[in-house]
Amino acid sequence: MNAPTRTGVPFSFGRLLVVAQNTFLEAVRQKLFALLLLLAIGLGASAQLFREFNFGSSELKFIADFGFGAMIFFGSTLTIAATAQLFFSEIENRTALTILAKPIWRTEFIFGKFLGVFAVVGVFCALTTLLLAGLLFARESALMEAHPEAFEHGRIIHYADVFVAGGLQWLKFGVLAAFTLLVASYSNTNLFTVIMGFFVLVVCHLQYLARDAYAQVASVPLRLLVRLLGYVFPNFQVFNVADQVGMGAGLNHLMALRIGGYGLAYIAIIGVLAVYSFRNREI
Amino acid sequence: MDLRLVRSGAVVAGVLALAGLMLRPLEAPAWRAMRAQQPALKLESIQGALGQGVTVGLLGGFRAIVADLFWISANAAWDQEDLPATQTLIKLVTAIDPRPLFFWINGANMIAYDMPHWRIRAAGGYDAVSAAEQNRFDREQAEVALKLLQEALAQHPEEASLYICKANIQLNRLKDTAAGAESYRMAAAQPNAPYFAGRIYGELLKRMGRKQEAYVWLKQFYLTLPKPGSAQATPWQIETAMADVVLERIHELERELKVPKEQAFKG
Repeated sequence: MNAPTRTGVPFSFGRLLVVAQNTFLEAVRQKLFALLLLLAIGLGASAQLFREFNFGSSELKFIADFGFGAMIFFGSTLTIAATAQLFFSEIENRTALTILAKPIWRTEFIFGKFLGVFAVVGVFCALTTLLLAGLLFARESALMEAHPEAFEHGRIIHYADVFVAGGLQWLKFGVLAAFTLLVASYSNTNLFTVIMGFFVLVVCHLQYLARDAYAQVASVPLRLLVRLLGYVFPNFQVFNVADQVGMGAGLNHLMALRIGGYGLAYIAIIGVLAVYSFRNREI
Repeated sequence: MDLRLVRSGAVVAGVLALAGLMLRPLEAPAWRAMRAQQPALKLESIQGALGQGVTVGLLGGFRAIVADLFWISANAAWDQEDLPATQTLIKLVTAIDPRPLFFWINGANMIAYDMPHWRIRAAGGYDAVSAAEQNRFDREQAEVALKLLQEALAQHPEEASLYICKANIQLNRLKDTAAGAESYRMAAAQPNAPYFAGRIYGELLKRMGRKQEAYVWLKQFYLTLPKPGSAQATPWQIETAMADVVLERIHELERELKVPKEQAFKG
């Protein structure tokens, strides 16, 4: 089926929100969401038990690392799997044909899908961040009572930073969801989309290494090619401000704002590209 | 090949590249600031360990726990006196999580202090290995440890405990007093330096016969120390500063250097 004609039907945020709401409800009803959420919460909470294995960093830093580790790992899995699954369920069940036969823009459909997934991942990030903040607060309070001399200058953890770091992870998952939708708009199968989604995740995390490695090479075409690839893929490492949580120094909030702007701009651009590619697709 | 697909792919790649270029001013300052705070994000910090699960650790955000698990493996290898495995695992642990000083300092100490004994034992024991050969093992292992500490200092340039670890290896394993003294001087210059670093630097200068230098150093150093009754210092700081011991050493040096009484340091 080719792109529907939109003659006489203006773009509607209402319809977009209906798609988003349905996507959200469908996602939270899936076992995958509940399973990953439980695993992330369970792993984050078990950081207390793993303290015995901690040799290098301070206890609070270890808990923060562990909690954010669980959020990043399970959050990435949830984002990629849920985006691919929710997109392809419409294609495979032929419900996309029914929806797009109605006066609904493909833009509304794609952004609705995106917003639904983004909301699900938002719930996931909010719950895991709250749990982590609670764990850190409880442990820090206990440590303050046991070793007051180590907390002469007050609490070490800046709790606002924990939420900022959680929020930036959410934005990163948003960029990842948009990228997965872009891949899905080309792909024919769910599996291919999931695999490519993970590739994108790895490439976006490690692209800075390629930029560094090839910055010095003698071959100009190779250097330019890698630089171009560095521009094509967003830098996901920039969102990982969680490393600064628990280190004593607070986050630079101007920097966090810049990163937030970077994430939102990428979500908008990749979302538009997903619409462009979906409009050229035959369902 | 579907021409429409190719065209669409080219448009997407082109727009993404353009977006990357346009968004670079937003990303670059944040990325620069982040790298300044986290030296581990530099290529040279992890290239030695790529392909060994490091990427998984980095991507998963479980750096601390992955490093801890490898540290347990390093200790198991250390227990078996397996030199290549221990050295490789120490390198891997510090590559995965270069933030904790614990890994750097303990790793360097294992390499410098334990491994020469393993090599001597593996070569037949202390009776079978000549003194020259034993010295060679000491020197080679100390150099590996110092190289590791140099990497540590690239990550933590203001960390006094790393300079102290370096100084002790130079003094105890290489018997290089001049290098050890210089490392203690560097340790004393760092913001979190323990007071003993400055005292030991003065003592090493004296031991090398550079008494005038030691005298000048200790006088300057004494002025920076918290004294008993100081309101700004905690009792622990006053106790560890040992200002009275430093003053005593200054007076000893005055006697040895025959400093006239009227020019004697009053503190």
